[in-house]
Amino acid sequence: MWKSILYKEWLKLRWIILISTALGIMAVGSLFLNVQHDFLFMGAMTYWYNTLFLGVQYFHLLKYVPLVIGIAIGVAQYFPETVNKRIKLSFHLPINENKILLLMMLCGTTTLLVSFGSMFLLFWGLSAHFFPQEIVYGAIVSVTPWFLSGFVIYFFISLIVMEPVWKYWILYGLIGYAFIGLYLEPSTTGGYEPVVLKFALLTVLLSLSSLFSAYRFRKGEM
Amino acid sequence: MSNVIECNNLTHYYGKKMVYENLNIHVREGSILGLLGKNGAGKTTTINILNGFLQPRSGECLIYNENTQHLTPKTKARIGFLIEGHVQYAFMNIHQIEKFYAGFYPNWKREPYWELMKKLKVLPTQKISSMSCGQRSQVALGLILAQDPDLLILDDFSMGLDPGYRRLFIDYLREYAKAANKTIFTTSHIIQDMERLIDDVLIMDYNRVLAQKPVKEFMTTFKQFNFELLNADLELKKEKFIVNLEKVKNQIELYTYDSEEVVLNYLASNGIGYTNFRKVEMTLEDAFIGLTGKY
Repeated sequence: MWKSILYKEWLKLRWIILISTALGIMAVGSLFLNVQHDFLFMGAMTYWYNTLFLGVQYFHLLKYVPLVIGIAIGVAQYFPETVNKRIKLSFHLPINENKILLLMMLCGTTTLLVSFGSMFLLFWGLSAHFFPQEIVYGAIVSVTPWFLSGFVIYFFISLIVMEPVWKYWILYGLIGYAFIGLYLEPSTTGGYEPVVLKFALLTVLLSLSSLFSAYRFRKGEM
Repeated sequence: MSNVIECNNLTHYYGKKMVYENLNIHVREGSILGLLGKNGAGKTTTINILNGFLQPRSGECLIYNENTQHLTPKTKARIGFLIEGHVQYAFMNIHQIEKFYAGFYPNWKREPYWELMKKLKVLPTQKISSMSCGQRSQVALGLILAQDPDLLILDDFSMGLDPGYRRLFIDYLREYAKAANKTIFTTSHIIQDMERLIDDVLIMDYNRVLAQKPVKEFMTTFKQFNFELLNADLELKKEKFIVNLEKVKNQIELYTYDSEEVVLNYLASNGIGYTNFRKVEMTLEDAFIGLTGKY
């Protein structure tokens, strides 16, 4: 049964995985083309000065990319389930309803992991090529909440799209906005170090949120 | 014969608006029951409760003795469900959707599905989103036949179908159900279709059940008498035996479960002058309108 669910999710997500991963990799590539360009035209000394003392973040271009990918994957996965209340088809399958939703979420999360993972590794590798370890570490700490924000928005998209009552969409939207604001708060390079693990834990907890909308749907809220 | 579906004292409200109170429904194993009712009478509400998509205010529905709010996967595998409008995963093509569902049902029978698909003359790669409503109905039907469930719940199966597809759908369904002793619970707006398909009828009006019995019994016991009043201004007193009375100028349509004799006695004892008194043969649709009223 789980193979069939994976198959359905694959049919919905296959193009968006390719496109979002390609765009993500292109964003990282373009970021380091800028770094290379600035190295050449500013000179390494000025570039280092800007990075170390003026707090210029060479990776700021990445800030909203995971967010956009999270939205795209969330919409691509959950919107086709809710048009004409098609989610009824899934809930009617001979498998526990929560299990279906968790499997769907696992598929979406894995897709994000693949997409973000390839971006993250490329970012790490290229950063290590251009910068010393201290700067790379600070950059990794800084971009981690941004990547986590991609997961958070994905979970909120699932919560909102599956919610049967439109008034709740606004409520969830506002809560989601407040949560994502935390992850994208401007900070100095590496400034998020004390809270990165807490953010990761919070993201895992938020992954269960769509079960609430599904429960409300099954109760017949409208 | 045991009941496959049993709803006991079912009560539901949307906010303060009552849909029904203490509704009791039972569907015998191997029978085809048609739920008829006007818009808003609670047909879709009942289907949603049966499928566990709506929690009733009180009362319960049992399918194979399990509460429909907590059906086990094993019981769900025995139920085929057709959503109003023949909704299916439109992003799949007809090959993909068959492959998808086959993974859930160990007794999956792909032949009836592909037999129906052959009739449609569509390619296996044709997306469901690009199909007409009639073609989608055949995909939905084919999937149900391949699942081979013991109970079929069909929500307004005739919606959006032209007469040819409706006929095809009904003929396939009836033959399949009768050959394999399947139970069907169905709703439809087109009552002519029901006449060809169902064994038992359940007619609902706002808040209550008007009739639940075999169609044959309903059609022989429920009668329509027409006559013309000599005095068009006369207002007829509605007595207990009269189920419904429709009056247009001096033309009267009287519906009752009682005999012609009772009606004639009523006219005579009340001194009502009339002409052209006759019993009218009804179709199921006529009887439905007669029972529920035109408005």
